[in-house]
This record gives sequence, C-alpha cells and structure tokens, in this order.
Amino acid sequence: MNAPHSSFDYERTLAVCARGETAALRELYERDAAWLMGVAMRLVHRRELAAEVLHDAFVQIWQKAHTFDPNLGSGRGWIFSVVRNRALTTLRRDSREIATDESAFEDAADPSADPLADLTRSTEAQALHRCLLALDEQRRRCILLAYMDGLTQQQIADRLRAPLGTVKAWIRRGLIALKECLE
Amino acid sequence: MNFNDPVERAALAGEFVLGQLSPGEQAEFERELARNREVARAVVTWQERLLPLALNVKPQAPPQGLWPRIERDIAVGVSSRAPKSAGIWSNLAFWRMAAGLSMAAALALAWIVLVAGPVSSSQQYVAVLQSPTDKNAGWIVETGARDSVRLTPLLATPVGSGQALQFWTKPDGAAGPTSLGLVPADRPTVVPGSKLPGLSPNQLFEITLEPAGGSPIGRPTGPILFLGRAVKV
Repeated sequence: MNAPHSSFDYERTLAVCARGETAALRELYERDAAWLMGVAMRLVHRRELAAEVLHDAFVQIWQKAHTFDPNLGSGRGWIFSVVRNRALTTLRRDSREIATDESAFEDAADPSADPLADLTRSTEAQALHRCLLALDEQRRRCILLAYMDGLTQQQIADRLRAPLGTVKAWIRRGLIALKECLE
Repeated sequence: MNFNDPVERAALAGEFVLGQLSPGEQAEFERELARNREVARAVVTWQERLLPLALNVKPQAPPQGLWPRIERDIAVGVSSRAPKSAGIWSNLAFWRMAAGLSMAAALALAWIVLVAGPVSSSQQYVAVLQSPTDKNAGWIVETGARDSVRLTPLLATPVGSGQALQFWTKPDGAAGPTSLGLVPADRPTVVPGSKLPGLSPNQLFEITLEPAGGSPIGRPTGPILFLGRAVKV
C-alpha cells in the first residue's frame, strides 16, 4: 500500500505549526504517522524505538517548523527527512545493540519486502522506479540498503561480501547515474 | 570536500542523505550545509528524489498513547533528546534558552506579585515573546488588574513607514488568533480584559508586522516578529 498521494497542503500546515497551533501538528500526525512509523520501523526494527523516533521527530517538527523553507522543497519531504534523520541518529547510536539482536527482525516491517514493488503511483515514483532499475544491480542494492535499511558502507560491504572500497564506489557511481537519469 | 564542483556536491549530498558519511565527514558537511544554500538545495533535491521509496513502505499503526504524549511534551516545551552534535535539525539551544527565560521572568513576576499583593483574585500569567529568527527576547506580557494584560518592550523593534506592529493572542485550542490591536514599538501598552478571549495556561501571544492600520483580514498576514506562551505564576 502506498501513502496517499494527495493535494493536502503540507507547506501551509507547517506554517500554521510555526504559529503555534497544535491542531496543525495533529493534522500532520493523523495523515502520515502510519507511514512515518513504517519508515522508522524499517530503519530501527523495534517498535518501541520506532515510537521514540516518531515522538522526537514530531517534537522537532513542532519546534523547527519556522525554519522550513518552501522554496527549497516540499513540506512532506521535509517531514519525512526529519523522521529519517532521527531514525538514523538512533540507529548509529544503538548500532551494536540493534545489529547483534537479529531476533528483533521478527518485530520489524518485513525487511525482505521489495522496496520497488508498487512504486508506480506518482510520476515521480515512476521516474525513480525506472531510473533505479536502469542502474547496475550492485549499485541499486547498495542505494536501497542505505536508504531503506539505514546500513553503513561497512554493513553493506559485509552483507554483500564485497570490499569496503568497492561498495563506496558503487554508491557514488550509483548516485551520479541516478541523478543523471532523473534530471 | 569540494563543494564548488556541482557533480561532487551532488554526490556528497546524496551520500549525506543516505547516511553514508563518516562522523568526521558528516560534521564537515553539516558545517557547509548550514551556510551554503547550494549544498542545502542539493540535499533537499535528494530527499525529494528518494521520497517515493519512503512513501512506499508498509504503514504501521503507531502506539495508541503516542499522540497524547507528543501533545503533552510540546505543550510544556520539552526538547527532543537529540544531541546538539546531530546537526542543523536539532539546534535546541534556543528552546532551552526560551524555557530558561520564561522561568526567570516567571520568578521575577512571582516576586512582584508576592510583594505587591495580588492585583486581582484571578490567575496571574507571564509570557516572554521571542524572535523566531535571532532568538532575542523582545517583549514581556503580564496580567494586570481585572484580567488586563500589559505588553512591555524589552528592546526597540524597528518599524518602517507604512508598517505597524499588531499584537495577537490565541488560547490553546482556539481556531485562530484574536487581534489585541496595534501597539507602539517603544512603550508599554495595556490591553483591557474585555478585549481578550480569556486567559489560560499556554496561551499564545505574538506580534506580527502588518501594513499601517493593521491586518486587513482580521488574521495575521505579515511575518511573526515575536511570539511566546503564557506561563502561570
């Protein structure tokens, strides 16, 4: 299931948050919390950690709403970035703990789910789908493991049984190719 | 790191968004991100490009009690536990300072109230209004006799010709702000209780820059110059 692609005005709602109206933050929460929880679960695996990520991210969205610049990007993109950023901070901080507890995966969003399945809802999604598929398989896997699962280059190297330097190069060349394809 | 070459800049921004920079590289990148708009643009471009992948995850119901906890924590101004080193998303110094200033102002007013005796039998509040951009405390709002409020400037607010400062309040949960009128930049203003939509804890007060004569639509139209919330004393 995709998050609804809607004409909801995220930028305006963030501006209302910046004015101190709690109802606006609640509106954002009610619209996207389930997908943000999904993103956080996929990254940190554990439900209680994902809930903490979401809590801290929403407090931050509230406090930082006045810094959001609609000239740079979309409000929804900003909100998802705040959540991903919090999740990555948690992941890096707790990485040993999370990495050594494989049983935590049981509780997680299905980590084997294909992130490209159903990636066709919007024009942007279709373009991304097409350009990811156009990448060499190793480069695509590196980018997806990094973005979806929050793995570091070392973790990706371990997972793919490839040298660290090679993974570094795959990611960099993959990003450059992806950029060219999307532009 | 070479931030001048567009290809290199885009690749670094992509690695940053993917969380692939080492802690040292990340710190260097974030310093540049805070001051270089081209770098900020490159980061946001990657966030937008990859967003469809995030929107494509399997949704998960958040725990039932999560929203009430968020709502409670933003009301009392609890900061998230992000370390300062986490970069530009988590500069919490302002929020900590805001909490400290409000407390100092609250203590000062509590002392005045205790020494001078209550001016009215109703609750006493104070709010310190701060600039959302440079974080300076600019005005203090205090309750006075018969639920009036006194607005006192702490510093001079520059106002151009053809512009005016307008004072607003919004109780928690109200649909929108209520205008308390235009205020002079350089001296205190007392607003009678009859003009207020009541007074309650956490009530928002703000000053916006409006055209001379005030907002034509009865809601703020200009930038928020100062804002703060009422704290009970």
